[in-house]
Amino acid sequence: MIPKRKLRNILQIREIPLLIFVLILSAFFAFTIEGFMTLKNFEVISRQITTVGIVSIGMTLVLVTGGIDLSVGAMLSFAINIGGLLIIRGIPIYAAYPFILLLGAILGAINGLLIVWVKVPAIIVTLGTMNIFRGAIMVITKGKYITSIPQSYSWIGTGYTPFILFVVLLICFEFALRKMQFGRNIIAIGSNEQSAIYSGVPVNKFKVIVYILSGTLSALAGIIFIGRSGFIQPQAGIGYEMSSIAAVVIGGTSIYGGSGTVIGTFLGSLLMGLILAGITMLAVNAYWQGVINGLLIILAISFDTIRQMRRR
Amino acid sequence: MASKPMFNIKRKVPVSLLGLILFNVVLFVGLSFLSPTFLTIRNIQSLMLRMSELSMLTLAQTLVMIGGGMDLTVGSVMALSGAIAGMLFRAGFNPATVLVCALLGGALVGFLNSFLVVHLKIQSFIATVATNTIIRSVVYLLLKGRVLSAFPKSYVSLGSSYVLGFPILFLAVIAIAVALHLLLRRTALGRSIYAAGANEQCAHISGIHVNYVKYFIFTMSGILSAIGGIMYTMRIGAIIPDAGLNSPLEVVTAVLIGGASVRGGKGSVLGSLLGILAMYVLLNGFSLLGLSSFWEVIMLGVVLIAIVGQGNKKQIVKMSRFSRRKAL
Amino acid sequence: MVEIPILVKKMIVVQNVSKQFPGVRALDEVSFNVKKGHVHGLVGENGAGKSTIVKILSGIYSDYDGEVLIDGKQIEFHSVRDARESGIATIFQELSVVKDLNIAENIFLGREPIKFAGVVDCSYMYRRCREVMDFLDEPMDVEGKVGNLSVASQQIVEICKSLVLNPKVIIMDEPTSSLTEKEVLQLYKIVDQLKERGVTILYVSHKLTEIFRICDDITVLRDGKHIGTVQTQDTDTNQIIQMMVGRTLKMLFPERSVKPSNEILMSVRNATRTGEFEDVSFDLHKGEILGFAGLIGAGRTELAKALFGATKLEQGNVSIAGEEFGHFSHPREAFDKGLSYLPEDRKGEGLLLQSSIKENMTLAILKRLHLFRWHSERRERELVDKYADDLQVKMVGIDQIVEMLSGGNQQKIIVARLLMTDTEVFIFDEPTRGIDVGAKYEIYKIMNELTEQGKGILFISSELPEVMGISDRIACMREGRLVKEFTHDDVGPEAIMRVLAGGDA
Repeated sequence: MIPKRKLRNILQIREIPLLIFVLILSAFFAFTIEGFMTLKNFEVISRQITTVGIVSIGMTLVLVTGGIDLSVGAMLSFAINIGGLLIIRGIPIYAAYPFILLLGAILGAINGLLIVWVKVPAIIVTLGTMNIFRGAIMVITKGKYITSIPQSYSWIGTGYTPFILFVVLLICFEFALRKMQFGRNIIAIGSNEQSAIYSGVPVNKFKVIVYILSGTLSALAGIIFIGRSGFIQPQAGIGYEMSSIAAVVIGGTSIYGGSGTVIGTFLGSLLMGLILAGITMLAVNAYWQGVINGLLIILAISFDTIRQMRRR
Repeated sequence: MASKPMFNIKRKVPVSLLGLILFNVVLFVGLSFLSPTFLTIRNIQSLMLRMSELSMLTLAQTLVMIGGGMDLTVGSVMALSGAIAGMLFRAGFNPATVLVCALLGGALVGFLNSFLVVHLKIQSFIATVATNTIIRSVVYLLLKGRVLSAFPKSYVSLGSSYVLGFPILFLAVIAIAVALHLLLRRTALGRSIYAAGANEQCAHISGIHVNYVKYFIFTMSGILSAIGGIMYTMRIGAIIPDAGLNSPLEVVTAVLIGGASVRGGKGSVLGSLLGILAMYVLLNGFSLLGLSSFWEVIMLGVVLIAIVGQGNKKQIVKMSRFSRRKAL
Repeated sequence: MVEIPILVKKMIVVQNVSKQFPGVRALDEVSFNVKKGHVHGLVGENGAGKSTIVKILSGIYSDYDGEVLIDGKQIEFHSVRDARESGIATIFQELSVVKDLNIAENIFLGREPIKFAGVVDCSYMYRRCREVMDFLDEPMDVEGKVGNLSVASQQIVEICKSLVLNPKVIIMDEPTSSLTEKEVLQLYKIVDQLKERGVTILYVSHKLTEIFRICDDITVLRDGKHIGTVQTQDTDTNQIIQMMVGRTLKMLFPERSVKPSNEILMSVRNATRTGEFEDVSFDLHKGEILGFAGLIGAGRTELAKALFGATKLEQGNVSIAGEEFGHFSHPREAFDKGLSYLPEDRKGEGLLLQSSIKENMTLAILKRLHLFRWHSERRERELVDKYADDLQVKMVGIDQIVEMLSGGNQQKIIVARLLMTDTEVFIFDEPTRGIDVGAKYEIYKIMNELTEQGKGILFISSELPEVMGISDRIACMREGRLVKEFTHDDVGPEAIMRVLAGGDA
């Protein structure tokens, strides 16, 4: 009986269609594009998807609780720009990294506390804080790039390092979502908040934690960003909120809250990365990427909606 | 028991808007004292002119948010209609055809949005995130990523003409705003939009065709944004592929400051325009005072959270006060 | 049942508890005791304050006046968690399962057994769930999704949820509202088992048969006040009803002033909507109130909504005043053709809570007001004033926000909305739910007056006394089918109840 159920469970996993789609697409590109299936190209793609991918992990958690975080890009930028000011003043690397992460956590905490205390909808709070953080960056940096980043910061953005880090985070958060009290409780919050309250789940605490994680992960993505590009620009992370929402939603996380997986988010970011790479290498006009991503979001949500309707 | 005429003023201008009006007045007076150039005809005229296209987007967003949705395509539709206009002008079409096509482009996007919302039942926020990505790409494809400035002189000169000292574009905005206000406040359709936004189920049960309402608001939002795009090209004389990139969120902020709610059923044309006015005056003031314009962005964020949070608090206070009175 | 009073300890002591809501005093100086190991019934009509007591005891409301003692200790709960740690488990009236979690995860939600560092001990969790289910004699697949379960099984999950922590007190708030009779018997069995193990149970219900079947003591609340606590053996149904209602049944309903005519006003043939109701046919006469009795889930609201065009009627015919319509495709069409509907869920479907009385009242006749014309605003105000006056809505003015009104006045506003559409047939779906006795009487009076004008009313209600008190005929629905019709005078409540619950048909 048990193996039968296991089998059924595997077949029911909704990442499977997405995975198949990713495989077919890779195969298609592999046949049509010379040099697509090379290690070098894989390295490029893996690096490309890492920053938005890590932000998307945080976004997944937020969406699972039924919230949304529009300030991820701004938090990323704020953390590394302020961190960058210290870096060029010679703060050691082992102090700079925790500082940047802490900044991200604090910004996330601000979001979470505002949502829980002032009871303003998440979309408004994070829209507001996005403006605030972005404005603050420009005021503090006066719009200047920080270019003289020491060479020692680049290790985290080169080779497979960022991708390995991404995969480790994926595994950790997938485990947390499936097997830990934290994960089960945030799913309950997103699925039926009233019921979570009645069952004694500390709803507010978990909501704040989720936004703190979103901020911290954004800051981490920022650290990788520094490592990869070697400079810090005030506009860093613009558009990340939309790309990460796209990746998460394509990955099958419900925008209604209550269900979602980090693995799905990974596949979502991978799919978007593949398409970008394929388009670039096919020398098709790169602007088509937006059209394809938009269609993917609509497709993914239509699936989600149909599934929701069938369940009712 | 019958309401006294005294009440009427209060009913027409809600208390929440009085605060916003006061804020604008204080801003005007303060800036006039702080900066000698603020209260000059030139500055005010250019302020009105610069506001025009974003005001159109604000009106579009107001309509959608009252109806309980959100339209993040306003910025890309603005760019799209500008791009369509530019390309058709370059191809030698006459202005009438060009304008109609530009507006149709906007209407089509709006219709697509309403289709996603009504039939695929996608939340409007997410649906328009998706269409926004698509439309923005289409604009890039149309313009090949470059600035297009093939607009006829006579067309562009409209953007810098004045009637009685007011820019024509500004007058057009006011005229459209008045029309929209009347539509929302004085017609059955307007009431239906408010009702559908406040409680979709209740509206449906009360015999309102909620789906038609949604088709209307999104399509209308597309058209209004397209008008914004035409104003943009008239004013600048060119269309940039990135035009209106950040405007959806700016505009949502203005509408929320103007008294709307993300849950729908609230908001007004007057409030939204006051919201966008406050934003532009702040921006103008900061630049005149030589401050970083980014202070404005910060202020916006703070004001947004404060206003919405305050609204929630007021609700609670009002309720508890009421209960206390009842208990006595 | 010979007991020595000194040995009987008080498990729950409620002392002078009051709770205030905007516009309502939900509890007013309520005091009563629940003895240890007893099953204590808490009864009262809707809005009597039962649910408020439950929410205070289970830690959801922490701001109230007065004190509550559990097992001799004064409690100060700030969350459900606090209550649970004091040994109180609650089964809430609204099923609160989380559809995205599996059965075991639901049962342990908010109190997951932790192996280390926040990792859930799944094997222990599953084992303990199976234990509890074995105790209840209700085996289930503990790893299955809750979303797929029937309502009754979800109720079992709720019961398991309250049992896994071995509580001292279990509060059951209307636990049978969605169960079939067979399942109710099973619940009795479970309650008896729990009692044997010395668990104190506070059993909240307004169904007196259940209360008399399983409770040792009964506390009656009415309009937020404590009316009395009696031992079950010393009392009978009539006394309890009298305590609940505060007056004799006769006075509760206005005298019907007209007899329905023989002329058929509306007839429905073979109405069907898959999974909701099947093959329902009936006639409604001029000046008649046709009551629809049934348990929750019998398909009455679903039928009403489909007749009204709010959802799609898959099969069947509706005709009003001799005209055949097939089915209505939208509520608008129903209004235009002479049928209006008062929804069951007042706040969710009936009202724009943040809007004014005026805007709420005219919602269904916007087109007719032609709001664009010059004087329409004045016309609208006159109309609203008139109806508010006729129905005696208590308000500050017609621009008042409806959220601030009492339930009864809110209901009158929806009634006014329907009256303005001037339809021939009205469907009133639970029009008296959650409103006070006085307002109920006024609603009945309005219904009575409508029949005087020759209108027909379909009256859906889950309160048997009111269906019997006001209807000319009573249609009984069970599991989506219309099983039997009674005329006003020829039956007693027991006979109807038997039909509804699935005895003889």
